[in-house]
Amino acid sequence: MNASLTPVVQARLLARDNRIKSPATIFPLMGLFVFLVLPLFGPSYFTIDLAVKVLIFGVFAATFDVMLGYTGVLSFGHSMFFGFGAYSCAMLFREIPDSPVLAIALAFVIAAVISAIVASLMAFFSLRVVAIFFAMITLAFASFTEILAIQLSSVTGGEDGITMQLPYFFDLSYELTGSLTGQTLLYYFILVICVLMFSLMLRFTNSPFGRVLKSIRENEDRSEALGYKTFYFRLFSIVFSCILASFCGILFALWLSFVSPESTLGIPITLNVLIMVLIGGMGTLYGGIIGSFILQLLEGGLPQLRIIADEQFPQYPWLGDITGRWLLLFGLLFVLIVFFFPSGIIGWLKQRFQKSPT
Amino acid sequence: MSERMQDKSMPHWVKAIAIGVWFIPLFITWIKPDLMDFPTWASMTLSGIAMGCLIFLMAVGLTIIFGLMDVLNFAHGVFFTIGAFIGWKLFNTLLLEWVESDGFLLNIAAITLAIIVASLVNILLGILMERIIIRKTYGDHLKQILVTMGVGIIVVELIRIIGSAEVETFIIPGWFTEAFFIGEVMVIRYQLFSILMGLLFFVLIQWFLNSTKIGLIVRAGVENPQMIKAMGYNLNKVFTGIFAMGAVLAGIGGLIWAGFEENVDAAMGDHNLIYAFVVVIIAGLGSVKGSIIGAIMVGIFFNYVAFFVPQLAAGSLIILMCIILMLKPSGLFPQK
Repeated sequence: MNASLTPVVQARLLARDNRIKSPATIFPLMGLFVFLVLPLFGPSYFTIDLAVKVLIFGVFAATFDVMLGYTGVLSFGHSMFFGFGAYSCAMLFREIPDSPVLAIALAFVIAAVISAIVASLMAFFSLRVVAIFFAMITLAFASFTEILAIQLSSVTGGEDGITMQLPYFFDLSYELTGSLTGQTLLYYFILVICVLMFSLMLRFTNSPFGRVLKSIRENEDRSEALGYKTFYFRLFSIVFSCILASFCGILFALWLSFVSPESTLGIPITLNVLIMVLIGGMGTLYGGIIGSFILQLLEGGLPQLRIIADEQFPQYPWLGDITGRWLLLFGLLFVLIVFFFPSGIIGWLKQRFQKSPT
Repeated sequence: MSERMQDKSMPHWVKAIAIGVWFIPLFITWIKPDLMDFPTWASMTLSGIAMGCLIFLMAVGLTIIFGLMDVLNFAHGVFFTIGAFIGWKLFNTLLLEWVESDGFLLNIAAITLAIIVASLVNILLGILMERIIIRKTYGDHLKQILVTMGVGIIVVELIRIIGSAEVETFIIPGWFTEAFFIGEVMVIRYQLFSILMGLLFFVLIQWFLNSTKIGLIVRAGVENPQMIKAMGYNLNKVFTGIFAMGAVLAGIGGLIWAGFEENVDAAMGDHNLIYAFVVVIIAGLGSVKGSIIGAIMVGIFFNYVAFFVPQLAAGSLIILMCIILMLKPSGLFPQK
């Protein structure tokens, strides 16, 4: 190797040579492959619904991770941005029913603009003082937004939400050729956007900008002493994350073809996403997708577990009762993970298998 | 970070406007009595102050715990809910006769007893929670928020199982439901009672912090915990005590609030925690005086907006919060 290169550059070149072989490339590509070929096997609705939810919430959790793991601020208002996307999509479908393509495109633009404004407002008011203001202020913003969405029923449909008329090419009954239905088309549309967003986040966090963010997270005073205006770095990262979160909301609204405050705006959604990131591992991006997979499986599988418990162990009725108490398990999981498994699955794997860079 | 962003003191005209804004509704009663007459304004303001006093009971615990222990407790709402549920349970079972009678003494006895029971339960829970959970998270804000959030979810779910998952009716003791008139203004006794309780506890807390030995240690602990430890005081015990005190205050607030709303449900604590957060943010973290002013501001503002545009009442608090943070980024009475 050229002796004139600095050690940092040498290490980087080495990493570049090995990156095809590294597990950090192989496993995600395998995962992507699974998602790509899944519709070809003609899966049941349950499977494809699970896959889409894993995808959307996985990317949503990754946007949350950009904030929590890379920027070091905890937001309880992430579901609000998800809801902004979902509602702007649903309302545009209602306002311009004739041209769905325009509606979808406009939904992306409008969701991005609204999210950017609200996110920078929140960041502006909270980050100026102490970072933990952010958790409180976002919680207040999110819960009041939910109340507003319920009460302004003439605009948002109130608690009943809005049912959307999907364009014909995304409709369940529409057939392009053979087994390629509108649903499959929508699936691939969601997959493409999700992959795009995820690669954008990977690029963002691995860029020089992302490295500054990491340094702020590790030691804010020092990065400030190095001359970085930490406020603007955090602000930009938060806005970026919130815009992508609103895009996830659009995709979710398209998939459900229905939006309601409970399914897109509620605080529980933020908590779900938070636990996904914690399960997968903070500051890893991929952790969000793993966490999303586990959580969706748990949530989807719990009713089945309950049936099994009731059939197999009728002498222990409390087993069935416990599986019915999803929130109780959820809270326990929360506390246990934070105390005993703080680095998450990916963090744990990294500690286990990564060779130390000597 | 706070040293860098010091508040500049506000110019006087901003202060004047900030105070003057609160009298706009009173002004309306003078020029446009058909929109809102004076008695309506007065009873609205009273109910706003009452609401504020109850939010204060919750917010003050949050703010003292944060100021002294540097712990942001997202599970504070559960103490509020527990207080309310204990009141509901007692009033419906053991104390039913006392509550249903119109006698002042029996009613007061019922409320006092409920407050004592709720306080005992909350003291116990607060001590347990601080000892077992909070103590392991000192100095790590993220962990604190996550763990307390998780504990909050668990306890609320337990309340749903043990207490009730439905919205239950809360019986107010008979004597307190009646109203009397001062001039044309109608005053409901229960509102007056809420205000008195809020002010009573405000005075008690101020007295405790400013005039007792433990209060002195608490205040010094806020200033410089290392020094207090070096002087041989066991700050851990003080922490546990203060945490339990916060829990008790929130429980009393919840009990009285349940009568104010005339119903209880398991989510009420989380709902009110958000109001308490708004108050704490407005007041400046760690300030007791700020929290009563902030709480009353929030209560009054909420009631005024609810009178004119009921749908926007909750959302308007965000605007209030934003305006105050714009004028004073670390709240009205920043401590640190």
